[in-house]
Amino acid sequence: MGINFIDVLGKKTIEFCQALGDLGLFGYETLESLFSTKLKLKKVFYHMNYIGVNSVGVVGLVGGTVGAALAMQSYIGLERFGASQFIGPIVYIAMTREFGPVFAAIMVIGRAGSAITSELGTMRITEQIDALQTLCIDTKQYLVVPRLIAATIIMPFLSIFCTLFGVAAGYVVAVYALGINPQVYTQAIIENVELTDIVNGLIKAIVFGFLLTIITTYKGFYARGGATGVGIAITQSVVYSILTVVVADYILTSLMFIK
Amino acid sequence: MIELKNLTKSFGDKTVTKNLDLTVDDGEFLAIIGRSGEGKSVLLKQIIGLIHPTSGSVIIDGQDITKLSKNDLKPVFKKCGYVFQFAALLDSLSVFENVGITLLEEDWPVEKIKPLVIEKLRNVGLDESILDRYPNELSGGMKKRVGLARTLMLSPKVLIYDEPTTGLDPITVRLIHELIKKTHIEQKTTTIVISHDIDIFNYATQVAMLHQGKIVYKGPTKDIWECKNPYIYQFIRGLTEGPIEQIGFVKD
Repeated sequence: MGINFIDVLGKKTIEFCQALGDLGLFGYETLESLFSTKLKLKKVFYHMNYIGVNSVGVVGLVGGTVGAALAMQSYIGLERFGASQFIGPIVYIAMTREFGPVFAAIMVIGRAGSAITSELGTMRITEQIDALQTLCIDTKQYLVVPRLIAATIIMPFLSIFCTLFGVAAGYVVAVYALGINPQVYTQAIIENVELTDIVNGLIKAIVFGFLLTIITTYKGFYARGGATGVGIAITQSVVYSILTVVVADYILTSLMFIK
Repeated sequence: MIELKNLTKSFGDKTVTKNLDLTVDDGEFLAIIGRSGEGKSVLLKQIIGLIHPTSGSVIIDGQDITKLSKNDLKPVFKKCGYVFQFAALLDSLSVFENVGITLLEEDWPVEKIKPLVIEKLRNVGLDESILDRYPNELSGGMKKRVGLARTLMLSPKVLIYDEPTTGLDPITVRLIHELIKKTHIEQKTTTIVISHDIDIFNYATQVAMLHQGKIVYKGPTKDIWECKNPYIYQFIRGLTEGPIEQIGFVKD
């Protein structure tokens, strides 16, 4: 029983390390293609539209909902201490530092990331990626690089969008539902705005954009086993991307905000 | 010349090709036959470098391509064109974009690419009316022709076809075989075709049979019906009795 457990644990550890190595190699080859070949701007704009513009609706909706809930939750706690005037800064800081970049990334993973894995996975199992290779086309440059650049550029904008909707929704809830003075809400935010909060939030969004694209393209690029295999690849890409974003968020928070 | 020496490919516990030896001379038209699941496609993909063998060598014009890195394989792909079983056309691109993809990626102007694409389409018996169509708007036979036209854009010296007639009606099978023969003669290529269709013997000059990971026979197609090799004898006549075992079937 004990030996069996160690056996399974060892096997899983080796598999994990192997997958991590493959992912690292995939990322390295992608960056190599990025710097060694001419960038196709038309494709980058196409993917910026697909990943970014088409995600604006869901990102705004989630940002607004989170901001509204945050305003209510913080009111419950702050009112006990007579500090309800701080709802604004709390919503603003939480959205800028955490929820804006994280929720924007999660929504992009769910909407565009899964579609990327699905598209590349289907191309893999129908030999379209092999065909590109036999036609002397750099498959990473053709399939991965434009998506990677598009997501990395567009994520900070989505994060800003998510944050703005959150702060605005927090305002609506605080003023119209909780009876907070509108000037108190906005003034408290203005007094607490720090450039580092915004910059660090944007850095997080850039890192998340890079990570989620590498993982979702990797899972699609190496999908195998027919339609079932593509389905498994999509599930794994979504789960691993969200996990990576959450873990990266913690690491970045530790590096950026702990003084 | 293509030489395969001691070529072995294993996937986990399963060995697909076992110490396989095969030589294909320049200008030869070779048909590779064998039962489904024998690893014919894996063999072809090893020849072109899409699959790396577990051991052994693939020597093309004196160069062992198994020693090459991914980036160094580009000259091999230029030399050896590969026509995929189901054409592997890119779904999101039109016929024009599929056939002209290599030049489009090199930023050639469209007005220069278009005549070349039309010429290649004509070579495979298609006209320019299909340029703007997408793969899902083409029949199976048309897809295979477009796939061949795309491969011809690189003017390869060797053309490798992976089961080009699978799933086609007998008339289209004949047309595709004639097209392969015509391309072989006009482009002066070395041609390797995997086929289950015995009609291919009317077009190929040599035939090789893959069985249990090895080439068990190679010889001219003109004598094939007189051939006494037990594997060939059983296979081309579709006999159930013989050295080729019935895997996965329960005998009555």
